[in-house]
Amino acid sequence: MVNVIALVKQVYQSADLKIDRATKTLVTQGVPRVISETDKNAIEEAVRIKEKQGGKVTAVSMGPPEAKEALREALAMGADEARLLTDPLFEGSDAHATANVLAAAITKIVDFDLILCGTYSEDLFAFQVGPRLAEICNLPQITYAAKITLEGSKVVAERDLENERQVVEGKLPCLISVTREINEPRLPTLMAIMGASKKPMITWAAADLGLDKEELGFNGALVEVLRSTVSVGERKRIMLQGEMSEVAPQLVKALLQEGVLKAS
Amino acid sequence: MSQENKGVWVFSELPALAFELLGKGRALADQLGTELAAVAVGANGDEYVQHGADKVFLMNDPALTTYQVDSYTDAIAALVNEHKPDVLLIGATRNGLEFAPRLAERLKTGCVTETTRLELDAEKKSVLMDRVAYGGNLAETHISRSKPQIATIAKGLFSPNPADSSRKGEIVKVEPKIKPPTTKVLETKPKTAKGVRLTDAPVIISFGRGVRKKEDMAVIEQFAQTVSGAIGCSRPIAEDLHWLPIEQYVGLSGQKVSPKLYFACGISGQIQHLTGIRSSRIIVAINNDPKAPIFEYSDYGVVGDLYQVIPALSNALKQLSKSQ
Repeated sequence: MVNVIALVKQVYQSADLKIDRATKTLVTQGVPRVISETDKNAIEEAVRIKEKQGGKVTAVSMGPPEAKEALREALAMGADEARLLTDPLFEGSDAHATANVLAAAITKIVDFDLILCGTYSEDLFAFQVGPRLAEICNLPQITYAAKITLEGSKVVAERDLENERQVVEGKLPCLISVTREINEPRLPTLMAIMGASKKPMITWAAADLGLDKEELGFNGALVEVLRSTVSVGERKRIMLQGEMSEVAPQLVKALLQEGVLKAS
Repeated sequence: MSQENKGVWVFSELPALAFELLGKGRALADQLGTELAAVAVGANGDEYVQHGADKVFLMNDPALTTYQVDSYTDAIAALVNEHKPDVLLIGATRNGLEFAPRLAERLKTGCVTETTRLELDAEKKSVLMDRVAYGGNLAETHISRSKPQIATIAKGLFSPNPADSSRKGEIVKVEPKIKPPTTKVLETKPKTAKGVRLTDAPVIISFGRGVRKKEDMAVIEQFAQTVSGAIGCSRPIAEDLHWLPIEQYVGLSGQKVSPKLYFACGISGQIQHLTGIRSSRIIVAINNDPKAPIFEYSDYGVVGDLYQVIPALSNALKQLSKSQ
């Protein structure tokens, strides 16, 4: 029996985000909210572990009330219970403040052997929440896992590093962050989707987690965002048009002048 | 917030990356009128001095020979608590990226990962740390409310200062107190990458779905040979079609590259891909769809069929080489 907590972040589907060059804003209207890609792998891995060894999967998400949709999807994929951590006080959280809220929820759940999460979130790509949470909970961490094998309380994982696969051994309880490579997340069946609405979905606010206003959201953040602007790119955007017999030498010359290409 | 934090520190388990951090660190330390220190592992710290460090904290402990998150966090957190640096730059390797937030949490300080630019604010009190979110669509400037101010920096973003053997610096030997680590490495399996590693390649030719058949990769391979470039690809080529090993996929969860010259051939330019190529100096896009987003993120764009454009480029380069 292994009880697993899968951490889930809901994000805007990154492929559908666009920039409105005129207003210099990120267009999120009409963009679907989805589970951040590697978090989906974390849910899948948690469910596979449960299917093999027995136990329970609890999906946990901090976010706006809409994040309930992401948790419902996790339940449809096979998670047994869900906890939505939502409170206006959480707004403006940085990685530290987020990890702090998740740690409080995990402490309240008590009964777990393994925390799984995605290595990064698709929107911010900061790589921070997993290791910070592990540190607060005083748990070992294994990151970039492309394969996990459990034997009793022993865990062996393959870490996908730049130029090597590193096979590491650790002990439960621990936190493992997974990559996209680890599995192919399932598409829930219609039955599973219908069944998900009957599974427990519990919402916890700051007060339920015994958290103080001062440590939450913007107040609790250790990093402040001073400015946030859409990046319209600092590229030259020189379009070469015309006959290929003219365009090709033109481009080659430009690249030689930039000093990035050498004539042999 | 404590006022006494002083000095700029750099750390990377990769010496080559640590030297790059020393390049940027030197500039920051000079502007702040403070000392630049490197935290290093091993028996010799001279190279760090030659690349700009005034001081090297040299940890010569067998437990630190290879990187392990617990041991490194224990050792460096203790050093930071003792000396209280103002700024700490950490190399953003994958290991560096799992280490920096864990260290920051232990120190209860902020950390900005994958920064693209660092600059001192007008009063020179804090470091303005730029990073991008949403695959490069949103540029954010962060400051840390606590110290040390920690930033992680990817390879290739800053240049090292040339080694100067006449530079003098202080080597401080450190004997860190390290608890037994919670994980141990059983084995390392090298990845089988053909030829040059993408992350080291000065010229990269990447292709995407615009290449219609596996056999047609020959067009790309030939061109790569002509310009002495390494071959990369978009995610579908490696993950869905398996035409190339996963190590050659450039993007968000794949390789992040920083070549002098990047060719995106038949790649539409999804956010996933753009994130991996941001640090390229010059980006050339070749695509038959004039509306492909990749053109917005390129220095030079050619609208056309890559099957025609690429051989034409090869020819043009050969002609030019002959005429010189």
